[in-house]
Amino acid sequence: MNTILLVDDEDSIHLLYREELEEEGYTVHSAFTGLEALTKLGQIQADLVILDINMPGMNGLEALRRIKEINPALPVILCSAYQEFKQDLSSWASDEYLVKSANLDELKAAVKRLLPL
Amino acid sequence: MPELRKDPILGRWIIISKERGKRPTDFIVEPSNTKGGFCPLCPGNEKTTPAEVLRYGSQTHAANSPGWNLRVVPNKYPALVIEGNVDKAGEGLYDKMNGIGAHEVIIETPNHEEVFTHLPLDRMVQVFFAFRDRLIDLAHDPRFRYVMVFKNFGRIAGASLEHSHSQLVALPILPRMIVSELEGSLTYYRYKERCIFCDIINQEHRDKVRIVCENERFIAICPFAPRSPFEMWILPTQHSSSYISMDNRSFELLAAIFSEALRRLDACIPNAPYNFVLHTSPLRSEPLEHFHWHFEIVPKLTQIAGFEWGSGFYINPVPPEEAAKYMREAVLK
Repeated sequence: MNTILLVDDEDSIHLLYREELEEEGYTVHSAFTGLEALTKLGQIQADLVILDINMPGMNGLEALRRIKEINPALPVILCSAYQEFKQDLSSWASDEYLVKSANLDELKAAVKRLLPL
Repeated sequence: MPELRKDPILGRWIIISKERGKRPTDFIVEPSNTKGGFCPLCPGNEKTTPAEVLRYGSQTHAANSPGWNLRVVPNKYPALVIEGNVDKAGEGLYDKMNGIGAHEVIIETPNHEEVFTHLPLDRMVQVFFAFRDRLIDLAHDPRFRYVMVFKNFGRIAGASLEHSHSQLVALPILPRMIVSELEGSLTYYRYKERCIFCDIINQEHRDKVRIVCENERFIAICPFAPRSPFEMWILPTQHSSSYISMDNRSFELLAAIFSEALRRLDACIPNAPYNFVLHTSPLRSEPLEHFHWHFEIVPKLTQIAGFEWGSGFYINPVPPEEAAKYMREAVLK
């Protein structure tokens, strides 16, 4: 069973994403800041990270740089409400960049691509 | 008293605010701040970028692996997409078309810490060759009419990664700035039957107050009506409308003057953020008698605020004659 670390500062995103991803058979761990995500990654064996960008403190792009420095092979999906961070080349370190949507089909498809069974 | 100056090509007015006259040391520039961490442009991380469309370097290494001196890759998350047709449509009086385009990143060096300004000349010239090679290749695509080549240096100027890179965007339309330059220079040519840029070069040779540096084929000047303090233009002294028509020797001399001009700027204002943009004739254009390709280097040292947005007037606190003098007299490291 694959483990996903979901990093977002909004509770509602955790509720929605966790339910849908757990239905797909993934184990989901939560972090609410970039710094907490880095700490969690030292504690759990994550197979994939879903990472928001606009978060208080360390933002998602900074967290991405640090995550990939520690483990370049760990797949990371940037999942933001904003398109404009695509213009930031730091985002290239991610494996996918998705714009948040209430329909999670795109996200689930990206997870399946990056975590083939 | 402040002075209003008119750009002779575009007709754009700027205000030289002598009262606010600033010396190079008056500009506060954020120190270069290396963030560290994973860099998607560094050797070894080629898999994080799309497949390269151009590569200079070792022939013994496979594509998309280390051993390169310079790579060009498509933008991983492009604003415009390469696939599709340019379908134009109207919505009432409004025009629109598909977002077709190519957006590429030129990774100028494999060394993360190297700064464009201080690249050795034999490496800087490769960057200019890469611009040419991509322009030639993209000109084969009939959907594109113009390729905008540009560089952002420093966070304030829009650079999101410190690893030295420039960018190009191929467009299905001519950007407004280029249309204005083509029109402005054509108006002048019809009146005087001379290229306005050639006349500017001749006048700068006579006046000798706005020249920053010069070599046997290029000149770097602070333009008469600069938008920004320490703005520089680099022009070939012989008339030419197309960047891609240069011979190899000219590329070497272009790298030489670019390097010198940027090092002079750096000596005056260390780590000054800037943008440079290549202004060249449209793709597949015949040689143009009235247009003259050139680079414009615009340091980002002042803020564009309400007055500038509203009026289109830029306020510049450093007369170009003083900026050129500071840079001419700068001691290069």
